[in-house]
Amino acid sequence: MASPNISLKKRLLFILGVFTFFTALLVFRIGWIQIANGQEYQQKAYEQQTNNRTISPKRGTIYDRNMKPLAVSGSVETVTINPQMVRELNKDVDLVASGLAEILEMQKDTIIKKINRKTQYELIKQKIDKDVGSQVREWKKKNNVVGIFVDEDTKRFYPNSNLAAHVIGFTNVDNDGIDGVEKMMEQYLKGVPGKILSEVDASGMELTMGEEKYIQPQDGNDVILTIDETIQYFAEKALEKAISDNNVINGGTAIVMDPRNGELLALTSKPDFDLNSPRAAPKGKDKAAWTGTSTEDVQYLQKTVWRNKAVVDTYEPGSTFKPVTAAAGLEEGAITPETQVTDATVKIAGHSINCWKPNAHLHETFREGVYNSCNPVFVRLAQQLGIDKFYSYVKAFGFYQKTGIDLPGEAGSIIHTKPTEIDMATASFGQRFQITPIQLIQAYGAIANGGDLITPHVVKEVVDESGNVIKKVEPKVVRSVISRQTSDTLKDILKGVVDVGTGKNARVPGYKIGGKTGTSETRESEQLMVQGKNKRYIVSFSAIAPTDNPVICVLVVLDYPDIYNPGGGVLVAPVVGKLIDEILTYKGIEKEYTDDDKKLLKQEVQVPDVKGKTVKEAINLLKQNKLEYKIEGSNRDLSAIVQEQTPKSTALLHENSIVILYTYKPTNEAEAMVPDVKNKTINEATQAFKKAGINIDINGTGTAVSQQVEAGKTVKKGAVVEVTFRNIFED
Amino acid sequence: MKNKNKKPFDFWIFAAVILLLSLGTIMVFSSSYYFSVKEVGNSFSIIKPQLLYMLISIIVLAVTMNFDYHKWGKISPILLMGSIGLLILVLIPGVGQVRNGAQRWLGVGTKTFQPSELAKLSLIMFMSFSLSKRRDVLKSFTKGLLPYLILIVFICGLVVIEPHLSGTIIIAMTGFIILFCAGAKISHFVALAIPVVLAVVGAVLVAPYRFDRVKAWLDPFNIEYKMNESWQIVNSLLAIGSGGIFGRGLGKSMQKYLYIPEPYNDYIFSVLAEELGFLGSAVVLILFLVFIWRGIKVAMNAPDVFGSLMAIGITSLIGVQALFNVAVVTNSIPSTGISLPFFSAGGTSLIFLMFGVGILLNISRYSNYERF
Repeated sequence: MASPNISLKKRLLFILGVFTFFTALLVFRIGWIQIANGQEYQQKAYEQQTNNRTISPKRGTIYDRNMKPLAVSGSVETVTINPQMVRELNKDVDLVASGLAEILEMQKDTIIKKINRKTQYELIKQKIDKDVGSQVREWKKKNNVVGIFVDEDTKRFYPNSNLAAHVIGFTNVDNDGIDGVEKMMEQYLKGVPGKILSEVDASGMELTMGEEKYIQPQDGNDVILTIDETIQYFAEKALEKAISDNNVINGGTAIVMDPRNGELLALTSKPDFDLNSPRAAPKGKDKAAWTGTSTEDVQYLQKTVWRNKAVVDTYEPGSTFKPVTAAAGLEEGAITPETQVTDATVKIAGHSINCWKPNAHLHETFREGVYNSCNPVFVRLAQQLGIDKFYSYVKAFGFYQKTGIDLPGEAGSIIHTKPTEIDMATASFGQRFQITPIQLIQAYGAIANGGDLITPHVVKEVVDESGNVIKKVEPKVVRSVISRQTSDTLKDILKGVVDVGTGKNARVPGYKIGGKTGTSETRESEQLMVQGKNKRYIVSFSAIAPTDNPVICVLVVLDYPDIYNPGGGVLVAPVVGKLIDEILTYKGIEKEYTDDDKKLLKQEVQVPDVKGKTVKEAINLLKQNKLEYKIEGSNRDLSAIVQEQTPKSTALLHENSIVILYTYKPTNEAEAMVPDVKNKTINEATQAFKKAGINIDINGTGTAVSQQVEAGKTVKKGAVVEVTFRNIFED
Repeated sequence: MKNKNKKPFDFWIFAAVILLLSLGTIMVFSSSYYFSVKEVGNSFSIIKPQLLYMLISIIVLAVTMNFDYHKWGKISPILLMGSIGLLILVLIPGVGQVRNGAQRWLGVGTKTFQPSELAKLSLIMFMSFSLSKRRDVLKSFTKGLLPYLILIVFICGLVVIEPHLSGTIIIAMTGFIILFCAGAKISHFVALAIPVVLAVVGAVLVAPYRFDRVKAWLDPFNIEYKMNESWQIVNSLLAIGSGGIFGRGLGKSMQKYLYIPEPYNDYIFSVLAEELGFLGSAVVLILFLVFIWRGIKVAMNAPDVFGSLMAIGITSLIGVQALFNVAVVTNSIPSTGISLPFFSAGGTSLIFLMFGVGILLNISRYSNYERF
């Protein structure tokens, strides 16, 4: 046989070359996969090779400005399973399912279904109490159960339930903030979740020799609000009372702001909800048909109880807007408080604009025009300024832009972009455009603080767990709107409105309060009237106190009091007055009584102690205190001894009230029937009560609209019954 | 013209094969024990028989390397006839064992062997033997080349209907390399390439599932294929990629925890790449290249054309299979089930491999060249 010749050797060498070439290509290819793409593949491989269970971080606490907790996170636990491990490593899977079902109070079928899933990880139950978690652990140990994990979790708890619900907001089951500060401050509150990583094979089974890695969760930071829990409580109580006293159909809002820095001390909207069960069925909803999570239900919640009316809703401000018009006139020098004005009817483009009391105060000063809330006075002032100038102030006071408050869902105003004469005329007294309550209180803040428009806000600080400040919210001045002088003048006028004008029901002896009433009809008003219902008015009162050194601005808005003609100031002013009284007292601001105040106060007297005295002595003592008397008992001799008195000593009564003197030891004190005083004047009502031997506690002015004890019921003689009076007029 | 002075066998070939086989056996254990625990409940269920096969294969090697290769020429027609008989036998329903839809095995229970393995070697022997005597007529297409083409196509046809696509490719490639080295006209090969390319394109167009395979090959991480067609290749790439330059360390593969199905089999190289990294992978490829280089050197220095052609046949058989396997697990070509010589677990193939290596070593004993 011939040995391999040259051509064969050449071809063999060629084959060697081909093999070498392809080997080199493959080496390069492997290098490409391992070196160039190694990181990426490694990451992908790691993701599939590890089963990771998340540990929720502890969500930060939300505090009020005095570090009272408003939203806290409690430690709970979550139970998860590795279905594959449960199936394959336990002797009796059925027993595992029933044991777990019993401890967790769940359906066994649900658990079995999850055990049979082909996943690496199934959630059994979230947010169980720690002791239930311990039970599961003990049970696992006792029965040698494998593949079930009990891991840390947290749950949100709101100690004050409904208080400041719209400000605080709430979280979902994954601890994500979905409303209020919980939503807006999510990035600070949330924290970083931790993980437990364990190595698993392709079927999801944990490797016995695998490593388990624990990555500590990073807790969220705490948020401190500007809200004062106590003031919030005052505001909510006042708003609730106003709503129930006046049959308010659509709820309302109350806002208290520090005008010096824009910090909101209280912000409430009614109806509200319990933060601990935000999805519970609101009043009037069928609980059986309610899920709280269906689209329909959530929409209903958003429309009603979840709705933060202070920020999300717009309304016509009515006369509460007049100070803005006044500010423009004063700042521009178009008018002074003492300028003579007239409220004679103004005619614009075929429309007549009258005062609420047509042509009643024909000649008055501008100051009186504000006191009396005469629309034509403001129309004329706006006309004098002209459209450009007038609207430049409306713009400067922030009514063309959102305030930028740190709460979700703020609405923008609905206001003329190209205003006409008639637009301006109606706008001058707050009609035919819509703003949010928060915009109005921001404007009042500027009037109060010397002219700076400041962004209202609810978050004061963010601090970490050791108290280091991470973020501090400084007051943000948007712009200067009016001068200090204008501010001072206007506050003085507004104080007059409360002292002697339409806002006098808000007066609190000892505190200097400035404010303005407001009423506006809504678009559907006429329609409601046709249906035989009361017109839907929105009534409000906006106030500044104390006017010489303002520390609070207050706005209370009521949407649709079910009353024939509510008359703005009358309805809301006393609520605001009482609220301001409570807040300023709480803040430790001393009352300074003017002579006027003293006169007002003098009308109330303290009942002296006449028990054990002779009738004669008692009568003298009562006369000195400007009180009247009535003797009960057969012995009316002046030397008889007073055995009992009603009311008891130290009670406060109006002058000329009656004190009943008993000359016998009454077993059952004499009773009297309460008269019906509805629609009577104060004088008439007082007479009727006197006749019945009952004392009247006069609340408000005007005609009686309600009485504390129903007519026809009996009370003890000499008892005190509160009667509420109101001036029924439009303003 | 027998060379009576037998020389020592080629050390490089022997060393490369022993190194590859040792590393391969270690990798079989590393990659199989978790699978064995999970599937059989005994971590040694795969490595134990593999060690036995290794022992048998070494004995086979010892025998064939001392058996004068010239004798294979005379036996080869009988062996080839026998192979063809067995290839037909395995196709008879009820006779051949069916696994994963392929009918490739003869035997009882787990004691089986693949006739295609025997067919590979006997075809190499027969073609080398026959061509060494008919090289002069090979230049003629009809008289020279055509009969061999018919033989290759016939055997490939029997293998491909098992079906055993990778076996078919290896047999065809090896056959063509022998024909090429024996001196077939280049122009004939070029002319042959045209119908082959057309056939491949036609096969892809005719069966849509093959088209899907090609698409899965081009985009294995596509969510559409990831859990199905390309699950193996995706996990193979993740394994190789995880290895980086130095690897996770011997025994530390994560992808062998059932992410790669049967990690001790066709995809054993991926586990090796994950555990030993780029360095380990490169060493293995270089060892194969050393084997090929020395195999070709033996072919070039063989005392006769028969020895030369048989040497290149055996070298190609192993080289082609190794490169194909690595190309598949690195997703360099569309995937097909092909094992890695000396690495993948399995009895028949290893024994026949060592059978062939033994013949190659025996040829080297008659060759005239510097051995070190």
